[in-house]
Amino acid sequence: MTAVAVHQFAQCITCHAWSPDHSMVAFCPNNNEIHIYRSSEDKWERVHILYKHDQIVSGIDWSAKSNKLVTVSHDRNSYVWSQEASEWVPTLVILRLNRAALCVQWSPKENKFAVGSGAKTVCICYYEQENNWWVSKLIRKKHDSSVTSVAWHPDNILLATTSTDGKCRVFSTFIKGVDTRDSGASLASDAKFGEQIIQLDLSFSWAFGVKWSPSGNTLAYVGHNSTIYFVDDVGPSPLAQNVAFQDLPLRDVLFVSEKMVIGVGFDCNPMLFGADERGIWGFVKFLDERKIAPSTSKYGSQFSEAFGKLYGQKQVGNDAVESSKPRGGVHENCINCILPLEKTGDGRVKRFSTSGLDGKVVIWDLEDQEDILSYS
Amino acid sequence: MARQEGSVEVDNVEAIIVRIEHKSRKIESLLKQFKPVEALKTALEGAPPKTKDERCKSANWIVVHRAMMAIKDVDGMFTALDPEYYDILMKYLYRGLATGDRPTCDQCLRIHEKLTERAGLGCILRSLSDTVNTV
Repeated sequence: MTAVAVHQFAQCITCHAWSPDHSMVAFCPNNNEIHIYRSSEDKWERVHILYKHDQIVSGIDWSAKSNKLVTVSHDRNSYVWSQEASEWVPTLVILRLNRAALCVQWSPKENKFAVGSGAKTVCICYYEQENNWWVSKLIRKKHDSSVTSVAWHPDNILLATTSTDGKCRVFSTFIKGVDTRDSGASLASDAKFGEQIIQLDLSFSWAFGVKWSPSGNTLAYVGHNSTIYFVDDVGPSPLAQNVAFQDLPLRDVLFVSEKMVIGVGFDCNPMLFGADERGIWGFVKFLDERKIAPSTSKYGSQFSEAFGKLYGQKQVGNDAVESSKPRGGVHENCINCILPLEKTGDGRVKRFSTSGLDGKVVIWDLEDQEDILSYS
Repeated sequence: MARQEGSVEVDNVEAIIVRIEHKSRKIESLLKQFKPVEALKTALEGAPPKTKDERCKSANWIVVHRAMMAIKDVDGMFTALDPEYYDILMKYLYRGLATGDRPTCDQCLRIHEKLTERAGLGCILRSLSDTVNTV
């Protein structure tokens, strides 16, 4: 078993984020609040509840260097929280959206953050010193549907997005006065703000969970058709690979190294994907050990579960959030968030955390996994 | 302009029908040679992409149905059928189940069971979300 810690924080968690030193975790318990827990001697205690949003908080990101929290919500607003003494002080960021905000991420330099929304737009927000104000600049009319996920390239300029129109796009987010044109060889060398660098049209269904590899050379995202997409050489001539897998679709991905990706989703069990020495990606294994050997009985049990649902046996009035039946694994419902925790000296992710609709935050360790070392 | 586009669509439909007739003859000859799996592979190949024309769809379905019903040994079929056919086969199985015809449904359910064992729930999801191959 590679899960080293399991914490049941709430009934359901929409998203979570870790403080820079990983001693605190912030999450949204499926309502308009953000709870912050601190670990002290093996126990987690609640230290703050941040009330400011009016509706479900859909995204949280905690900046590693500046120790600021950014949150977005279905109420179409965003707040940047900074810690002053022992209190968290919010600053409202007016996103200028007419639909819910769905996801948020700080840029690598933490001078900007990106918000994906149901208004088919992406907001790039940056701080204006003279006005003491966060400004939101919109990338409009590029997406045909809701933006489900955003990911920053390590160069702090390029932004990848996935959308429910099934496409993955890469934009330049260069903002005069905030960014400098120093990265000569970069793709974004002379692209203007909001210019689309590439559009990847690989999936025919909703796309979720986009991420760049640590170097920024490879892009991975998932489709709601149980397929994960890997794109090398993002630029004029990208090299795309589709990996279709046997199980339920994924919601989010994480690059552990250049050649290893972990995907989490509706199967409640993290899946490991790896690239072999020729660069061909494939499914490697489930991380939660109950499913390492796929057996026919698994299908049997899932079908009977489905039939139970269809005929509503003793399931009347079941809350959609509640898991239908314990599956015997660590997570008992869809996992929708995965974050890196500890890294080794060479930049590989050693530990990561997942949270899901079952209200658990689970910490996983990849050490002592000899069979996956061949992919590193 | 509209009339022109309409005629292009008609030409396209005619071309698809000719292709399907050709496919049908090939399948019949394969079935006569007792190569049901080869016949099924031929049937699954070249589904009319993105056409909304019901005539094309049902002509193609008749051909696939013919090949599918000729499969006697389902396990044997899967040892010879490559995984790239799984998603499209699943799509045709659901089309077969939608007919409500007793022998067709029996055959489709028999194949469906084995196919799900091999290709998992992911295959079902892909067949549901596939908008390119119309069956």
